[in-house]
Amino acid sequence: MTHSTPAGSRGEVVIRCEQVQRSYRMGDALVQAVRGIDLEIARGEFAAITGPSGCGKSTLLHLLGAIDAPSSGRVLVNGRDTAQLGDTEATDFRLRHIGFVFQRFYLMPTLSAQENVELPLAEAGMDRRARRARAAELLGYVGLGDRRDHRPTQLSGGEQQRVAIARALANRPALVLADEPTGELDAATGERLLELFGQLHRDGTTLVFVTHDTVVANRAQRVIRLLDGRVSSDTRHGSA
Amino acid sequence: MSMRATLAFATLRRNPARTVLAVLGIAVAAALLLDMVMLATGMRESFRSLLLTRGYQLRVSPKGTLPFDSEATIDGATAIVTALRANPDIRAVSPGLGATLALPGTRFPSVFSLGLESDVQGDYVLEGGRDLPPPSDTTASAAAPLPAVVNRAFLLRSGLQLGDTLTVASGVDAQLRTTARARVVVLTGEGRFFYVPAETPVMALPLRDLRTLLGSAYRDRMSVAMAESRRGDSASVEAVRRWIAQTQPRVTAISTETAIRQVEERLSYFRQLAFVLGAISLGIGFLLVATLVTLSVNERRGEIAVLRAIGTQKGGVLRQVFLEGFMLSGTGIAGGLLLGLVTARWLNGILRDFPGLPAAFDFFLWSPEAAWKSLLLLLVSGTLAGLLPAWRAASIPIVRSLREDAVG
Amino acid sequence: MTRRLLWTCTLVLAGGTALTATATSARAQGDTILSPSYGRRAPSVRGIAVDARMAEDFGLRPGSVVRLSGKPGIPGDSVAVAAVFERKADPAEVARREYRIRAHLDHLQQLLELDDRVDRFAVGVPDSVPIDSAVARINHVAFGFRAHQSAEVAVQSSRTFRVVERFHRAIGLITVVASAVFLLCLLLLSVEERRRDIAALRLMGISQATVVRAIVIEAALVSVIGSVIGAGIGWVASLIVNAHFQQVYRTPLLFALLTPEIFAFATLTSLVLGITAGAVAAWRLVRTPPLTLLGR
Repeated sequence: MTHSTPAGSRGEVVIRCEQVQRSYRMGDALVQAVRGIDLEIARGEFAAITGPSGCGKSTLLHLLGAIDAPSSGRVLVNGRDTAQLGDTEATDFRLRHIGFVFQRFYLMPTLSAQENVELPLAEAGMDRRARRARAAELLGYVGLGDRRDHRPTQLSGGEQQRVAIARALANRPALVLADEPTGELDAATGERLLELFGQLHRDGTTLVFVTHDTVVANRAQRVIRLLDGRVSSDTRHGSA
Repeated sequence: MSMRATLAFATLRRNPARTVLAVLGIAVAAALLLDMVMLATGMRESFRSLLLTRGYQLRVSPKGTLPFDSEATIDGATAIVTALRANPDIRAVSPGLGATLALPGTRFPSVFSLGLESDVQGDYVLEGGRDLPPPSDTTASAAAPLPAVVNRAFLLRSGLQLGDTLTVASGVDAQLRTTARARVVVLTGEGRFFYVPAETPVMALPLRDLRTLLGSAYRDRMSVAMAESRRGDSASVEAVRRWIAQTQPRVTAISTETAIRQVEERLSYFRQLAFVLGAISLGIGFLLVATLVTLSVNERRGEIAVLRAIGTQKGGVLRQVFLEGFMLSGTGIAGGLLLGLVTARWLNGILRDFPGLPAAFDFFLWSPEAAWKSLLLLLVSGTLAGLLPAWRAASIPIVRSLREDAVG
Repeated sequence: MTRRLLWTCTLVLAGGTALTATATSARAQGDTILSPSYGRRAPSVRGIAVDARMAEDFGLRPGSVVRLSGKPGIPGDSVAVAAVFERKADPAEVARREYRIRAHLDHLQQLLELDDRVDRFAVGVPDSVPIDSAVARINHVAFGFRAHQSAEVAVQSSRTFRVVERFHRAIGLITVVASAVFLLCLLLLSVEERRRDIAALRLMGISQATVVRAIVIEAALVSVIGSVIGAGIGWVASLIVNAHFQQVYRTPLLFALLTPEIFAFATLTSLVLGITAGAVAAWRLVRTPPLTLLGR
């Protein structure tokens, strides 16, 4: 495994949410996106967060990823309360412990696939030779070894998302969070991407992704359904 | 190249037309700034080097005038020069007399003539032929042609060559078409005259002989004397100047610094113009970089939010945007340096057309220290222009930007 | 008023000398103080006129008595200041700090021991006489001097001014080029910033021509309004420049002047540039597929 997760045993709790709430203002209205969620996700788990539009799934994902802070409650990732982290600490935490995959890929259009994957490695201080090797390895892992020098505009949607996944794995994060990773892809491409996620899970990566598509959600080991900012159901069904 | 530099370079290349225009704008601003700095310092330095060409730090002229500022002359020149030479703090004194002599039978009616002592003169450097004989040389007969050193403009306009003779005259009565005194002159040498415009024909003659030619009224007159302080430092020069002012009330002694100051006063218009235009250039360069970087950041809010989301610190984003501003300014300034030198040459050519300007005088002079300082100032201001947009970029709220980008 | 065209006869000057005006304030030693009327002569004291700069620097006014001599070291004559005059705005003289006085011709000739000599004299002819023929007639009989039209002399003596004028033109050209580049750059940027708006309009069905027209009109308006504001700033700046340099050089000369022609040139130039920049930027964007503009 080239992207092995940090030391720790499967089953150990990686994420714990305790009565997490998040509300924000939109104009004059106060929107309560997440209302008192309690949740635990174990190391090596493959979980999907699903629900209708506006149910708070993306907001929850942002809270898990220390991009956002809860209005109340605690979010503990690897034992650290992310709400207590200052901006610098939270950023560093994301860099070293969390990998993000976005719906719209968000690759730097002016950089090649290789350079996009190298971005977080450079930020983490890895020297050029080492990060080049690591980026090449990761691109090989996601099946894009021969497309390293291509710009995002020269890659298909599925290929771009694979690059995004490689980028997310760069610093061997404890956790990979994906926000609607198949949202911009056709069914066939989405299917191949889900197979890759499955591979990641088999290789020990802790995966949480958000989707509004129940069929996609059912590919995960565990499906957490949200409704109006609360967990309405939490179902586990065998390994993927 | 580091990842940050790679990203900055790639961002600038993303929109080549925009980047090229911005670089061009900065180049023009840099060129204008460089030219104005060269103008502001050039006049002073050019004049200073002109005055110090032969090492004379003091000029003595008729009371209340600058050298050759008017047609006034100093009477009792011999006594004054003797007194100056007797001062142990003065190494050399070069008296000079300027006059217009008629050239009967030549292509042009008159020539500006300088009466000089060749062993101490500081007005020209000999570039061909033979120099004037020293004042101590009295071997020439009264009837022999007078030796003369002329400049290239004289030779071209007269069509004469070294070795040719011609008649020069003074005391012209235009109505009677007569001259009071005339003498045959032989062109012995060609010189480059420092203080005379290049296009003005000029003839240097031995001072003694020019005085004779001009008549008894000029027997003991001079237009100017140049003096060299023995020690040469500014304090010594000032001490000599003060001594001259105290002991010779009919003359004005001006040091190089004073002369520069007075000329600068006369040309202060150009210095102030230079300052104003230079400041405007700096402001324009700043605005251009600030605008470009701001717009670039606004376009890339989503990208920047992603950078922050995947773990780039605020400082990293700040440095990234800073680097873009620095690259833009640096490239523009490099181009501006070349452009500025070309336009300076052009502008200098225009201003050198001023009537009566000494041949060796330049308005735009390359002063490495001043030039690099000004360009550095522009580089710093251009880079700092990215400060505010960089700060705004680093402070982009990640969630809101991602959401806006998704919605947009 | 009859049209009088002056032209100048130039004599070859038989040796010029500088006039030294020794402005020592002397006690009135029985000298009669003149009335301020220029030209009237009191029995014992001749009158001169001094320029305003000299009067200010030495505290002279009509009635002040000074000594005037043709050579330094000679006592000369006591003369009274009969008038103070303002020097004309001559760019060739603006940087010179010399003083000027005017004296009666015979008085000056006497002081300079010039007998019956002058440097030049000015001739006015009636309107009915053509200048060229008058010049030709005088030169035909001229002996030791030559007649020139005043306009010719003005051209020759204004070389300094013309050099400055060329320099200003060159600087003006550079600043116009620089401004053009800045304007193009900024307009391009501002139009490109609205790429999404343009994409939305196109997706709605608005034609390319309409979008381009709208942007061009906006760019034209911005250019015109900017020009007017810029002209206002330039006018204020010219007032400051004139006030400053008139005070520095002590001259009534105008250093900066905003004329209708200059305003029209500036406005027209920025209008043309603005329209060009707006059209180029708009055309680049409308040619791009809307979805590409949206980043898809």
